Amino acid sequence: MLTDAWKNDIVLLDGAMGTVLQQKGLPPGGKPELLALTDPALLLSVHREYVAAGSQIIYANTFGASAPKLARTGHTVEEVVPAAVAVAKKAAGQDAAVALDIGPLGELLEPMGTLSFEKAYEYFRRIAAAGAAAGADLAVIETMTDLYEAKAALLAVKENTSLPVFVTMSFEESGRTFTGCTVASMARTLEGLGADAIGLNCSLGPDLLAPLLKELCENTRLPVIAKPNAGLPDPATGLYDMDPEAFAAALAPCLDAGVTIFGGCCGTSPEYIKALRKTLAGKRPAARKYDAVGFVCTPTTPCRLDGVRVVGERINPTGKKRFQQALLEHDLDYILDVAVQQEDAGADILDVNVGFPGVDEAALLPEVVKKLQSAVSLPLQLDSSDPAALEAGLRVYNGKAAVNSVNGDPAALKRILPLVKKYGAAVVGLTLDKGGVPRTAEERVAIARRILDAALSYGIPRQDIWIDCLTLTVSAQQEQAAETLRAVRTVREELGLQVVLGVSNISFGLPNRRLVNQTFLIQALGAGLTLPILDPGQREMMDAVAAFRVLSGEDKESRAYIARFADAPAQTAATAAAVGSLTLEDAVIRGLKTDAARLAKAALEAGQAPLALVEERLIPALDRIGEDYERGTAFLPQLLSAAGAAQAVFEVIKTAIAQTGGESVKRGRLVLATVQGDIHDIGKNIVKTVLENYGYETIDLGRDVPPQVIADTVRREHIRLVGLSALMTTTLPAMERTIRLLRALPEPPAVVVGGAVVTPEYARQMGADYYSKDARQSVEVARKVFGA
Amino acid sequence: MDENGIKLDIGEVLRYLGVKEDPEGAIARAVQDEAEGLLRAVRPRYVYRLFPVERGQSGVVLQGSGVTLPGSMAGRMLARCGQAALLACTLGAGFEARLRAVQARDMARAVILDACGSALVEAGCDQAEREIASRYPGHYLTDRFSPGYGDLPLEVQNAISTALDAPRRLGVQVTPSLLMNPSKSVTAVIGLADAPQPARIRGCAYCSLAGSCTIREGGKSCAD
Repeated sequence: MLTDAWKNDIVLLDGAMGTVLQQKGLPPGGKPELLALTDPALLLSVHREYVAAGSQIIYANTFGASAPKLARTGHTVEEVVPAAVAVAKKAAGQDAAVALDIGPLGELLEPMGTLSFEKAYEYFRRIAAAGAAAGADLAVIETMTDLYEAKAALLAVKENTSLPVFVTMSFEESGRTFTGCTVASMARTLEGLGADAIGLNCSLGPDLLAPLLKELCENTRLPVIAKPNAGLPDPATGLYDMDPEAFAAALAPCLDAGVTIFGGCCGTSPEYIKALRKTLAGKRPAARKYDAVGFVCTPTTPCRLDGVRVVGERINPTGKKRFQQALLEHDLDYILDVAVQQEDAGADILDVNVGFPGVDEAALLPEVVKKLQSAVSLPLQLDSSDPAALEAGLRVYNGKAAVNSVNGDPAALKRILPLVKKYGAAVVGLTLDKGGVPRTAEERVAIARRILDAALSYGIPRQDIWIDCLTLTVSAQQEQAAETLRAVRTVREELGLQVVLGVSNISFGLPNRRLVNQTFLIQALGAGLTLPILDPGQREMMDAVAAFRVLSGEDKESRAYIARFADAPAQTAATAAAVGSLTLEDAVIRGLKTDAARLAKAALEAGQAPLALVEERLIPALDRIGEDYERGTAFLPQLLSAAGAAQAVFEVIKTAIAQTGGESVKRGRLVLATVQGDIHDIGKNIVKTVLENYGYETIDLGRDVPPQVIADTVRREHIRLVGLSALMTTTLPAMERTIRLLRALPEPPAVVVGGAVVTPEYARQMGADYYSKDARQSVEVARKVFGA
Repeated sequence: MDENGIKLDIGEVLRYLGVKEDPEGAIARAVQDEAEGLLRAVRPRYVYRLFPVERGQSGVVLQGSGVTLPGSMAGRMLARCGQAALLACTLGAGFEARLRAVQARDMARAVILDACGSALVEAGCDQAEREIASRYPGHYLTDRFSPGYGDLPLEVQNAISTALDAPRRLGVQVTPSLLMNPSKSVTAVIGLADAPQPARIRGCAYCSLAGSCTIREGGKSCAD
């Protein structure tokens, strides 16, 4: 039985299950998740004690009832979940509601682990479906430390049941979860995705959770849940240090902060719920203060839109041959590199556009989102006109994203806005419609109002609606620059919305484009532009933003501005000193990336052929540092610095070839993988870096790779060399299985193995052709196999 | 360096990197930079719990923990101990994220960061050990030892992780192939005895990497 009380009133949850079971004699390491099957009477007695203590919602004993956790028990989700829900319903009777309890899967999701988002969703779908069918009144997703896992669970419940759903996560005193998620990122992402109530559980006592709960209340309009531990455990006894009265007393300030749903986690028992009930008797929910700021985020990087935020424009194939080539070759490392450069240059948000003829955007966009989120912490703005691509990208995005874009055309609004609402994104509305770009500011503002009204009607909050007033090229339509600026001012002042402009469009066809761009940027910022889309690699643009932030008061005490310019003169001097007699070979050996790239460019411009540059200059230089490494006079960091400089040279060559359409430099293609069960991949990545910078093309299958995937790739791509890495004795058998499978192929490739525990003897026993003790030796192996 | 009691031994990091000579000190400087950045961003976290020690048929039993430590090394190490601490220490997912981010930028920095991480998680264990020593005065601690050392099987990792509730309290998972994730994580056992403990177990005879170790190739050992 579930009333709507949780929506507006104070509601009591239950306390710990495991703690009470241990008090009743369940040994540590026992299987509490199977109790509904093995000892339902014991379970029933605990639930009944909570109901008697005053719990209005009790959690069914399904916390660990996921397929991965049940894997070795011989029981299925579809057996355990209904049994546990039935016991809880019996205990609840008419006095309490029963929540399907959904805990973490016990496997880490990508990119930390190797469990895919899609597979996690599927695990959660089974629990949700079984729980709803068994008659649970609501679902609670709890003890999450990974926002991505919480998202998978939340989508699974919402898409497969009609149950209300609560989500609580576990935070450390630092205000972050184990995976680095902030309170604001959690709150705004989960509210956007449609959770019904959110909160914190486990990890700390109510005293230490109180400041985090206050922050949570300011970041959401949803009811907020507190289910803390009974303080901290004593290492000698395992007992928690707060008694029921102290626990209840420490939770009282949380009520003042706005929490309305209360319960207990580890170390609590029915006595704690009784004490809470007493403390909360007669109390009313406190008034809440919600901070309605514009916001996008990744778990670790909240981006509050309370000043100028730069949107990096470089992940876009338009007019960029090298980027187009990367898309066609599925070269995600290149796209990641473009993202990394923009993050390092100071972008706050990255626009991501991978639409190009010959590219399956709906397949590629989610893949790129995952790749970028593995190494870049900035929020993303997914840029596409294809709803299928947008949905696929939004689905796998970790955090709160933005969508670029919708426009005033009713059909476009109808296509895009439901996706924005479902995934809790922000949306860029272009002030144009079927009639094209209006010529006056007034007409553009009218479209902005239409977009705003439409978005609000879908339940998208006002602060998530961003308006692009459209930059037109000033050399073609000179009077339009002023109209754009007028529209910016009106949208900002009258509608109070975030304003977007693609700044660089202004200067097409003019000389000294950077000056025009910078001047227009400054004018637009003055008129109210908050989200300039630009190339953060253009220093003068970022300088202008830095100066504007000082003048607007956003950069307090000019700290960021001073820091930005503190080192500038020193850098110039260092660069000047490095120029001179430096050769390309020296630059590579000393790991000087910028110089190596500059000298390579000069060599190409002087007429040296790309292939000759690689074979006659780059590789001999790499060999020299490689030989020093073998002799023990140079070491791994130096070998890899040289490889990094070589990479810069290759990038110059690839860009030149993409522009001229010449023959690319290819010296042989191989597959690299860390074997199944092994998740440590830095060794494999080192080998990849060094081989690629000798001109070998690698297909990197990643880590924890099943033997069949490796064999299938070798067969499909006609691969002649496979490199396998294993770090642990426990994963050597997987290496051996992989080799056996490769040996059985019609055209077996050569196999080279390496990794911490691999020895030449093991390599022989497993049937590998080569053993490589380090990245340098793998180059020698590649030379033997490819004859170059 | 020393921030909040955590020391990172630059010499140890250079050893992990296999650096035998660094005449201009350039690598040491790069290590120093990386270590400083790391210490600003990532702190080791740990949990430990004490259990009474009892000698059982299949090994040393830590009462009430569900953990039994088979093999002769654990028996010898804990011979004179009435209690033992189980310890888990990790740099957490934050380190992994940092390592992924640096790998996307510069592999030379990444290998240095990786080695700094190895040293930092050991430093975290050292700090936990000091905390145990000061929290339980009057006891002498044995050397710290871990699953995979000597004849203590890696499989014990699972029971230790469960006893410490490591997934929930630290965010550390043991994979089916007995790796820990996040990777810079350590589980260990430390005995508490009433008399000084002479046994020293750090050495190649106990190390599962002895067969392929490059430090040994140079005629040295990581315990030197």
